[in-house]
Amino acid sequence: MNPIFDLPRADWLALAPEISLAIVGSILLLLEAFAPALRRLFNSLALAGVVGAGYLMLRVTSGSHFHGLIETTSITTAFGLAILLATAIGLLAAQGYLERERLLSGEYPALLLWCAAGLLLLVRGVELVTIFVSLELLSVALYGLAAYHRREAVSAEAAIKYFLMGAFVSSFVLYGAALVYGETGTTFLGLVSDRLASGRGSAGLVLLGFLLLVCGFGFKLGLVPFHAWAPDVYQGAPSPFVAFLSVAPKTAAAVVMTRLVTLVAQSPTAGDWSGFISILAISSMLIGNLCALAQRDIKRMLAYSGIAHMGYLLIPLASPGPAAWRPILVYLFAYVLMNGGAFALVSMLYAKPGEQHAIAALSGWGNRMPLLAGCLAVCMLSLGGLPPTAGFIGKYLIFLHAIQHGDLALALVGILASLIGIVFYLRVIYILFMRDEIAAPAGLRLDLGGRTAALISAAGILALGLFPGPFLDWVESVVSGP
Amino acid sequence: MSPDFFDLLLGDSITRFVFFPAIAALPLLLMRRASATSVKVYTLAATLVELALIVLHAASHWSSTGMVARDPVVKWIDLSSVAILYEVGLDGISLPLVLLTGLLMPIVILASWKGIEKSWIGYSASMLLLATGMLGALVSLDLLMFYVFWEVMLIPMYLIIGIWGGERRIYAAVKFFLFTMAGSLLMLLGILWMAWSYGEITGVWSFRYEDLLQLDFPLQQQLWLFAAFALAFAIKVPMFPFHTWLPDAHVEAPTGGSVILAGVLLKLGTYGFLRFAIPFFPQAADRLAPWVVGLAVTGVVYGALVAWAQLDMKKLVAYSSVAHLGFVMLGLFAWDLVAWQGALLQMVNHGLSTGALFLLVGMLYDRRHTKKFDEFGGLAAVMPWFAVALVFSTLASVGLPALNGFVGEFMILLGSWRGGLHWATAIATFGVVLAAIYLLKLLQETLWGPVTKDENRGLADLSLREAAALLPLCILMLWIGVAPDRFLEPSRPALARVLAAFEARRDLPSSAQVELVDRGGGGDPRVTFEAGTPAGGAELSR
Repeated sequence: MNPIFDLPRADWLALAPEISLAIVGSILLLLEAFAPALRRLFNSLALAGVVGAGYLMLRVTSGSHFHGLIETTSITTAFGLAILLATAIGLLAAQGYLERERLLSGEYPALLLWCAAGLLLLVRGVELVTIFVSLELLSVALYGLAAYHRREAVSAEAAIKYFLMGAFVSSFVLYGAALVYGETGTTFLGLVSDRLASGRGSAGLVLLGFLLLVCGFGFKLGLVPFHAWAPDVYQGAPSPFVAFLSVAPKTAAAVVMTRLVTLVAQSPTAGDWSGFISILAISSMLIGNLCALAQRDIKRMLAYSGIAHMGYLLIPLASPGPAAWRPILVYLFAYVLMNGGAFALVSMLYAKPGEQHAIAALSGWGNRMPLLAGCLAVCMLSLGGLPPTAGFIGKYLIFLHAIQHGDLALALVGILASLIGIVFYLRVIYILFMRDEIAAPAGLRLDLGGRTAALISAAGILALGLFPGPFLDWVESVVSGP
Repeated sequence: MSPDFFDLLLGDSITRFVFFPAIAALPLLLMRRASATSVKVYTLAATLVELALIVLHAASHWSSTGMVARDPVVKWIDLSSVAILYEVGLDGISLPLVLLTGLLMPIVILASWKGIEKSWIGYSASMLLLATGMLGALVSLDLLMFYVFWEVMLIPMYLIIGIWGGERRIYAAVKFFLFTMAGSLLMLLGILWMAWSYGEITGVWSFRYEDLLQLDFPLQQQLWLFAAFALAFAIKVPMFPFHTWLPDAHVEAPTGGSVILAGVLLKLGTYGFLRFAIPFFPQAADRLAPWVVGLAVTGVVYGALVAWAQLDMKKLVAYSSVAHLGFVMLGLFAWDLVAWQGALLQMVNHGLSTGALFLLVGMLYDRRHTKKFDEFGGLAAVMPWFAVALVFSTLASVGLPALNGFVGEFMILLGSWRGGLHWATAIATFGVVLAAIYLLKLLQETLWGPVTKDENRGLADLSLREAAALLPLCILMLWIGVAPDRFLEPSRPALARVLAAFEARRDLPSSAQVELVDRGGGGDPRVTFEAGTPAGGAELSR
């Protein structure tokens, strides 16, 4: 009998969230083929699947499964919930957009769910091949989604750019994994750590292997200098998908990145990882914010700002350790809400895909639709890190971590970069509320799903900003939990 | 947050009056179809209730030894090693400014009645949120909470200038925002550094005001930290040469925005020096005092000269703020109780008289849509009551005896002379003369002489609404001028305490490393917020 069937039932239960997402995705695809009349309900069905996966996720018992290939802890569950939240925002924002563009079909929610399954697996994978396979699973879904607007050339362009870069980077990851395996004789991260500690393998080659791995996930995070894809892909891909793309894969990649950096920093072959990470963080923060300053297109602006945000996120990794999980988790939750919310609003407020999404086109709409404009303003303030928003709490914890660990220079650069960032986030508010209207909105579809996504994000941002207590208590219990 | 916070909110507490405006702003969301008048009436009612809440709370916590009230502490952010507390308190230093804020809010709403023509809901909501930000910053006893409130003030003011402002409003709003933000981010870094230092010694991070007061830094570190705090506050004050945002912001802001800006926001800068920068870093403050005094006196003279040269009434009043706050800064760095009392009083005075001047300029602007001097002249004949109010407020601003400005300026000058700042006092006194020149110019060009423009002949005099906005300010100007002791008394113990602690710590030898203050020498030179006896200090000029 094949040993795979000898696995205890607990292992399969541990994989229940991913399995349920994959099954719901497949059902959607079948429905698309056999019951296309139900198309309008597909996104709601997918949403139900996400909620169900979230429930299963909370039920999964902590521990190691599948002979140590995946490992569930309270931390991975928390990150998984962040990913599911991003998926929900991506689904909610999509309904109106897809109806407007006459693109409603089963593929969008199916691909999104499969991608989410890959992301959840990536968060829990503690073995290099598992990590690589989940990376491919989610990447292939992402390529398809980027090209989803099949009548728009820019959408195809975005997908091809993303695919070429992504394929290139996948080989980085694979080569890195091979080098680490070759030198240490194992692909399990836990064992790699032990073998490195016992001095096995050539320090140079292991270092090169980890460097390639870090570069690969740096690409998914959009860190400078692996960031060039982000603005083009964001601009061309369908906006509701970008609400997902700009947060969910980054959440998962950040988890892997934290694992890798923590691991390698503890080994005797450490080298100067702290310096390397600091350089990545500083260049991402500065270049991201400075380039965003020059953008007139809101999607490109948010792309560059996303680069900067991943720079902030990297700050705690300059001094990695268990304590680093806390600021990273809080920051990513805030980031899911504020960036996901911002893109959900972008997909509602711009009627024509593929065209420039000029910020100036929003001129004066603050008076016309105060609630939605207010939500966008809240997202911008949070991205800028102003209190009392979730973004401030996140930034505060990150700078706190830096100062606690003596990375004063990183904190200083981070604060300086935030100041630059405020200029262009504020410009959006200024254009919304202080300019006279250039053109009345035409052809917009302000549907329930999009409004819900916007309101959830804005309310979440303010709730976390004003009353962070319960959330931080939960984070605390997660980080110190099993 | 724990339910305690909501208990506080409902009980007789500081929290209640701090958050009441923000909560009162919520129903505005449901008033989208309501008429502008009903929004105005609602907002006016809300601000009057707010004023009543403040006065009631202050009155019920009054005691003869000085006013102290504080709410129970509530945890806001609670992490294993770091807690941020929600801790608020009111003492003789913050009380006058809190009362001033409460008083100015309804006046501002009255004054905006006609001048604000679009989206009253947004305007009301911004004003109410601004009130919460200002009051919160004035009562915070936890530095991170202070920072949060400090930032919360920024956005509404940015919107008020940017949406309801004049022609160059965007430029002014962005400049205001960036100047303030640049300063406050450095302050945030300073705050984090202090909390970390406290954690290094005690093992527990703290942002509490009283905990951080115990920190004694080596001189070099004190200088850096003082610079980080002082920059944020100096921009807000604004001190020469960080004042350039002020004329732009004032000129472009709507009348209500200008009144709040001059009346309260600027005071938060001087309040910050008095509450935070000076008590935290006494040795650095003492070491750098000559520089600060130099800049303050430069501000007095420079502000006056530039005001004199203005062709626009609002700019003249704006630059006069630079001069007046120069006086306040001079008083603060004279290390003398009389000067400090004068400085605190002058903060209030400036809010009253400059607030009134901005109101009056705004009233003229509502009528003629211009603020240029050469468009006016001879208004005394056309608008007699307006003329009376303008003359009254101007004389208060100049410092005519029997009006409030005189008391404040005199005490500052007296105190700084006694504090040994002879040259600075002499130059600042010269600034009083300059103030008389430019403010009399304001009167001369608008009120006296023949009516030169035909448009001015038919201008209506003050309406009942406008008079109602001005009257409380004028009454207070006179009242403070005639019976200053009534207003100086409540804050003397608090000021004396801070000054005594400052002097005790200034004279200690500089430490070699960061440590808690109570090293050797018996007496505990800490300033505590509520305990501690009012130390000797100089007696007030009765």
